[in-house]
Amino acid sequence: MQKVIILLQKEWLEFKQQRGMLFSIILLPLLFTILPVAIFAISRFANLSGVVNGVSTSSGIGKLPALAGLTPQELVQAVGGLQYSLFYILLPLMLPSIIASYSIIGEKTSRTLEPLLATPIRTWELLVGKSLIALLPSLFATWIGGIIFIIATALLAISPHVFAAVITPGWLIMLFLWAPLLSMIAIAAMIAISSRVNDLRTAQQYSAWAVVPFMILFFGQLFGLIALGTLFALIVFIVLIPLTLLAIWLTTKIFQREVILTSWK
Amino acid sequence: MNAIETYQLTRTFGERVAVENLTLSIPEGAVFGFLGPNGAGKTTTVRMLTALIAPTSGTARIEKLELGADNEAIRQTVGILTETPGLYERLSAQQNLFFFARLYNLDAAKAAAQTERYLRILGLWERRDEKVGGFSKGMRQKLAIARALLHEPKVVFLDEPTAGLDPEASRIVRDFIKDLRAEGRTIFLTTHNLPEADELCDLIGVFQTRLIRLDTPANLRVGMFGSGTRIQVAGDAATWLASVKPLPFVHDVTAQGSALSIKLDDPDSQNPALIRALVAAGADIRYVEQITHSLEEVYLELVDSTQAQQDKVSMNLPGGRK
Repeated sequence: MQKVIILLQKEWLEFKQQRGMLFSIILLPLLFTILPVAIFAISRFANLSGVVNGVSTSSGIGKLPALAGLTPQELVQAVGGLQYSLFYILLPLMLPSIIASYSIIGEKTSRTLEPLLATPIRTWELLVGKSLIALLPSLFATWIGGIIFIIATALLAISPHVFAAVITPGWLIMLFLWAPLLSMIAIAAMIAISSRVNDLRTAQQYSAWAVVPFMILFFGQLFGLIALGTLFALIVFIVLIPLTLLAIWLTTKIFQREVILTSWK
Repeated sequence: MNAIETYQLTRTFGERVAVENLTLSIPEGAVFGFLGPNGAGKTTTVRMLTALIAPTSGTARIEKLELGADNEAIRQTVGILTETPGLYERLSAQQNLFFFARLYNLDAAKAAAQTERYLRILGLWERRDEKVGGFSKGMRQKLAIARALLHEPKVVFLDEPTAGLDPEASRIVRDFIKDLRAEGRTIFLTTHNLPEADELCDLIGVFQTRLIRLDTPANLRVGMFGSGTRIQVAGDAATWLASVKPLPFVHDVTAQGSALSIKLDDPDSQNPALIRALVAAGADIRYVEQITHSLEEVYLELVDSTQAQQDKVSMNLPGGRK
C-alpha cells in the first residue's frame, strides 16, 4: 500500500496545479449545494401562491407518496428540494470522470506511463492509486455537499414534514451507498475511454454519458413515475454492486502493463 | 559473467513478428550497442528485457533473474531511459526524481539524497525547484537519465539518449555514459547515432527483427570489409598496379588518382614487403595509411544485404512478389 500512498502524494501535487480541474471540483459541488439551498430559502420566504397551484394541480410529482398530506406551501418547498436533491447523483458520476481523465490521459499525453510502468510498482497499486485520486475528492465533495444540504434543509424547511419528505432514507442511500459505486463505475468507464483516446477534451466529451442516470431519475420523479423510496434505493444499490464489480473486473483487464503499452492508442 | 542472456526470444503481435529468436549474451560491465532501422523491433526487445511486456516464446535472464518469474525484481534491478523523457511537467525536477526514487523502493531520506546526488552530477541542482515544463530538451533528457539511475541499477537501458540534443549536451551525455561504464554498469544502448555507438560500445548487435551480427566494432569492420592499406604515390597510381598485383599476399588492388588501395590479411606484417616492392619498382611513396571503414558503412552494408535477402525470400514464397 506504500506505493499507492506515494502515487497519491504525487497526484495531489499535480492536482493542486491544475486550475481547470480544481475549478470543476470546487464549482460543481458548490453550485449543486447553493442551488437547492437557495430554492429552499426562496420557497420559505417568498410568496409562491402561483407556483403552489401549478404544483398541486398539474405535476405528477405531487402525487408521490412521500408528499402525501403536505400543505400546498410545504408541497412547493418539498418538490423543489426533492428535484434538486437529485443533483447529488450527478456529482459522483461527473467528478471522478473529470479527475480520472486528467490523471490518466495526462499520463498518456506527457508520455509518463512507460517510465511509471518500468518501476517496480505493481499494476494493482497503480490502478488503485489512480482510482483513489479520482474517488476520494469526488466522494468527499459529494458527501460534504450532501451534509450541507441536509443541514440547510433542516434549518430552512417550513415544517418537519418537508424535511422528512426531502431527506428520505432512499435519498440517504443514494447519497452514501450509491455514490461510491457510481464513482467506481465512472472511473472504470474513464479508464476504458482512456485506452482509446489521447486528448483530454475527447475523454471529457465521452464523460457526458454521466448525465443519463440523473436525467432518468429527475424526469421519472418529476412525472411521478419514479419514487426514490427506501426499497427502490436498496434495489438499485444491490444492482449496482455486481455492476461495479463487473466494471472493476473489466478495468483490471484493460489496465495491464502490456495492454497499456501495446494496445492503448 | 553475463548481465543479460537471451535464448530464442520471440515476440509477435498477431501475425506480425517483431522480434524473432533473439539469442545473445552481454557481459557484465559492457556497453552494448543495439542498432537497427526504425521498426526493427528494438523497442519491443527493450520492453521485454525490462519486464514491461512478455515474450511470446524464448527466455531471458537479467542479472540472473528470470524474465517472467522475477519481473518485479528485474524492474528493480534495471534502469530505463525511454524514447521520450516522460516527465511530469507540472512538478519540479526535484519532485519528479523524488517520486520515482520512492517508487524504486528507496526510503524518503535515501530518495532525497539520491535525488540531490544526480541533480548535482547532471548540473541541475540549481534549478531543482523549477517546473520541468520550462526545461529545455537537453535538461529534460538529463533529468530522465538521472531518473533511470536513482536506484543505482546494475543494468541500464538507454533508448536514443542523445537524440535531438545539441552537440554540447550530447557530449555531456556521452561522457556520462562513459562514467557509468567506468562504474562497472552494463549498458544496453539503442541508438541511430553510429559514430556515438562506435565511440561508446564494446559490443554491437545489428538487428532487424532477427540479430544479424553480434561482435566488437573492430571485428565488425574487418569481418565486413577486410583489412587493407592505402598508399599515396607521386603521379598516377595505376602505373604501379602491375608491381603490386603479383605479390602473393595481396588479395585485391585498385588505383584511383595517386592512391593505391590494397586488400591484405595482415597489414602489420605485410606492409613492409609491399612498400619494398613498390620502392624497388621505382615508386615515390608519399603516405601510407590503414584503410578504415566507419561503423556506418558496416551497418548499412549489413542492413541492406539483409533486406535484399528478405526480399528474395519473399519473392520466392508461394504468392510472393515475382
